[in-house]
Amino acid sequence: MRVPTAVYAARGRQAQNEKDVPFQEILPLRLKNTVSGKADSGSDVACLQEMGVLFACLKDNEFVEKYCHKEISQFKNCYKFYMDRKLEAKKTVNQGIVTPGNNLNYKQLNKYLRRFPNPV
Amino acid sequence: MSVYPQHFVDPIINKSLQKEKAHELSHIPIKPALNVSTDSIFYGELKQKFTNYILKEGNSALARELLTKTFEIIKRTQIERLHLAKGDKGSIITDAETLLINAIENTRPLLHLSAIKRGGVKYQVPIPLTEKKSYFLAMKWILEAAREKERKVSLPEKLAWEILDAACGQGRVVKRKDDLHRLCESNRAYAHYRWS
Repeated sequence: MRVPTAVYAARGRQAQNEKDVPFQEILPLRLKNTVSGKADSGSDVACLQEMGVLFACLKDNEFVEKYCHKEISQFKNCYKFYMDRKLEAKKTVNQGIVTPGNNLNYKQLNKYLRRFPNPV
Repeated sequence: MSVYPQHFVDPIINKSLQKEKAHELSHIPIKPALNVSTDSIFYGELKQKFTNYILKEGNSALARELLTKTFEIIKRTQIERLHLAKGDKGSIITDAETLLINAIENTRPLLHLSAIKRGGVKYQVPIPLTEKKSYFLAMKWILEAAREKERKVSLPEKLAWEILDAACGQGRVVKRKDDLHRLCESNRAYAHYRWS
């Protein structure tokens, strides 16, 4: 004879035996001793506003450049400034001089973390 | 990429500058000068680059000859125009090198399009160009236009016409640049997708 499930429901489901389900450590349960440099690479989008202004000017003047000298030079300067700053940033990252402070790039952080690794 | 380490300095070709900087650079390693670079008044950096782009299969003597012939045709045409012109003769440039430089400056693009894949769809994204790349594209386009010719027309002839056209802001090469700018303008909505 089948016993209706409602009879068991009052007691609740019996807990699973822990020995039946041994714990598996699929990924190590500790933090790595390094950080990746992905976040530091930054976004490549620059000079969007200047580009918009340039496009507006070009469209108004039927793509004749001599009427948009100001906009063109602004756009060029902006991009040049951006590229220079990117190069400069790359140089400072590659130098990797560790300075005290909270605004560190990934190379500096990795140097710190190598000195104080997680206990194994 | 260069075989020389980064602390090597570019050579100074100009003789008067050499004397000025001699003391400063006396203990700094310097890269060797290029074979073609001279302190002659006939040397032009853009001209030299253009010769290198004309070059095919390493035949640099031929490349130089072709450019010289082009300059000759340009000069002849411009002098003819000068003699035919009534009134305003000052506005006609007869110097072929100046005309080449003007042509290149007139055909330099500001932006180009690059395909970027986002969500399975390829978007054409307008991207600003560096100065070096824009010079390269301008020269490449002028040459491509010149090479697209009938068999009977010689390259210097066609090249001279393209340069003369581009120098006064007309012709196919300038149109190609404008078309690229138009295309960039119509794709401006995607400008914020970029390599990130």
